[in-house]
Amino acid sequence: MSPIIEITDGNKAFGSFKALQDINLSIAQGEIVTLLGPSGCGKTTLMRIFAGFESLTSGSLKIDGKDVSNLPPEKRPVNMVFQRYALFPHLDVFENVAYGLKVKGIGKDEVRERVRNMLRIVQMDHLQQRFITELSGGQCQRVALARALVNGPKVLLLDEPLAALDLKIRQHMLTEMKRIHAETGATFIYVTHDQDEAMILSDRVVLIDRGQIVQVDTPQDMYNRPNCLFSAKFLGETNILHGTIVEDASGKSAFRSAEGSFHYQPTNQIASKSAAIMSVRPEAISLFAENPARDNAIPATVTDVLFTGSRSFYHLVSDGGEALRAQVQNTPGLNRPNVGDRVHVCWPHDGSVVLPASPSH
Amino acid sequence: MILRITVYLILAFLLIPLALIVLFSFNASPSFTFPITGYSMRWYAQIFSDPQLGSALWKSFWIATLTAIITFLLGAAASLAWLRLGRKGRTVLEILCITPIALPGLFLGVSLLVLASQVGVQLSMITIVLSHVVLALPMLMIAMRARLALFDPNLEEASRDLGASQVLTFRRVTLPLIAPTLISCAVLSFALSFDEFVVTAFVSGTETTLPMYIWSMMRRTVTPLINAISTLAMVFTIAIISIALAIAAMKRATNLSSRDVA
Repeated sequence: MSPIIEITDGNKAFGSFKALQDINLSIAQGEIVTLLGPSGCGKTTLMRIFAGFESLTSGSLKIDGKDVSNLPPEKRPVNMVFQRYALFPHLDVFENVAYGLKVKGIGKDEVRERVRNMLRIVQMDHLQQRFITELSGGQCQRVALARALVNGPKVLLLDEPLAALDLKIRQHMLTEMKRIHAETGATFIYVTHDQDEAMILSDRVVLIDRGQIVQVDTPQDMYNRPNCLFSAKFLGETNILHGTIVEDASGKSAFRSAEGSFHYQPTNQIASKSAAIMSVRPEAISLFAENPARDNAIPATVTDVLFTGSRSFYHLVSDGGEALRAQVQNTPGLNRPNVGDRVHVCWPHDGSVVLPASPSH
Repeated sequence: MILRITVYLILAFLLIPLALIVLFSFNASPSFTFPITGYSMRWYAQIFSDPQLGSALWKSFWIATLTAIITFLLGAAASLAWLRLGRKGRTVLEILCITPIALPGLFLGVSLLVLASQVGVQLSMITIVLSHVVLALPMLMIAMRARLALFDPNLEEASRDLGASQVLTFRRVTLPLIAPTLISCAVLSFALSFDEFVVTAFVSGTETTLPMYIWSMMRRTVTPLINAISTLAMVFTIAIISIALAIAAMKRATNLSSRDVA
């Protein structure tokens, strides 16, 4: 299937500032893709380029197979949900949602039909005549979604749509967003700096840093197989060890740091003797009171324990002086170490990812 | 306690002269002294039999109306520009538009007079209207700036995104949102122009506006007629300002498109 959005060698500069560099991305019909990155990384600029509010300095952008470089926003088959909703304060809920259809000159009856239907999907049909100032944040969010989706866009652009909501409503709206996506079948492109939102919602995550795409992957793959230090640190928490790649007696690659030698399952090709980093997720780490006599075990001291109910977070310092974090499931009856206890930190071969030490990001 | 008394004294100082004017406008005798011997409407009757006064009133009305219209149009254009300018541009626009408010009317009058004679424009109703616009625009810009700062620029983008052209966006989103403030400012410009004296005195040439007519009457004799005129002008101005405030208080602009809800 041909991609619904395809950007090739895209560059965007504001004066001498390179906001986006060498962007190549294609998004398939019906996908939910998140553009994830720290604030100022260029993700919103990329979205505004899709919407037509900014244009590429160089490169091409196709939407649904057609080059849209010269199309103004009102002629593009995309609609946008703005960060602070940008609902029209002088119109009520119905008129807000009807706006797009009315300016396109669609007949009264059809407008009413389609607006009602869309308000039903976002569960706002009971508040049609409310004014925007009388709505809560979550309700505004629903109206903003309906106002964009009622036009039947090929692509729905969402610019940090949940940023203005509080945590409880945000989690609820994420589920709602998934349901609405399933009901409408539109392609969603979702901008966020929140890794949790990105992982919960997306089919694929596009990780952006300083104007460049760092990695494009499913949330699972990006979490489990980051391709660089930035990816590893941006999604979830991780422990980073610095060292070099060596070959052990049997010819297997191993990672050697001040803490010792560790075995791992190679996912990236890194030449022997070159500097590397090892990323170990806190949940991959097990703690043992005695030396378990296994690979990848190092002695450490517990410095802090954060109990959160089902899990506990351990702050540790290895004998080599490295600060480590571990996350342990609180299984009933299990003996848990306390602050000051000596433990052995251990992780399996496939519990770590080894990356080149001098990454491009 | 002292503070409260002070406030009352200041209010009294501000309002007693106005109250006296209203009171004496109904005085039967032409003297401005207490006790008042009787009440009558004779001064009001005289106003309407004075053709010169009628003509001055009519002129002032037209000048104020034109001033309000021109201020409205310029204000709308300036507001649109303000929304599209960056921080630097906005500062420049504000300095240009708002500075005249800091100039004493005397200097403004002199400079406008010099300008008119340099350019070779005959002093007339036109020069009066233009001068009043120069006075009213800064006031409008100050009010608009506060309103526009609250204007979410994403609203215009949202409208474009939903398929409306730039012109349609202006008509259906921008204008309805800024119109209440613009209209109330235009009404205030009317009030400002209607009783403007200092600048008008410099640029009016042979024309006589209402405030100038009152002034010329005062120079001959202090007649009780002035009290009646002033009372009427005051009532009129208060009405105008109330209208302006009422419009500004309308938070929600009228719903643009009518819709029948089944």
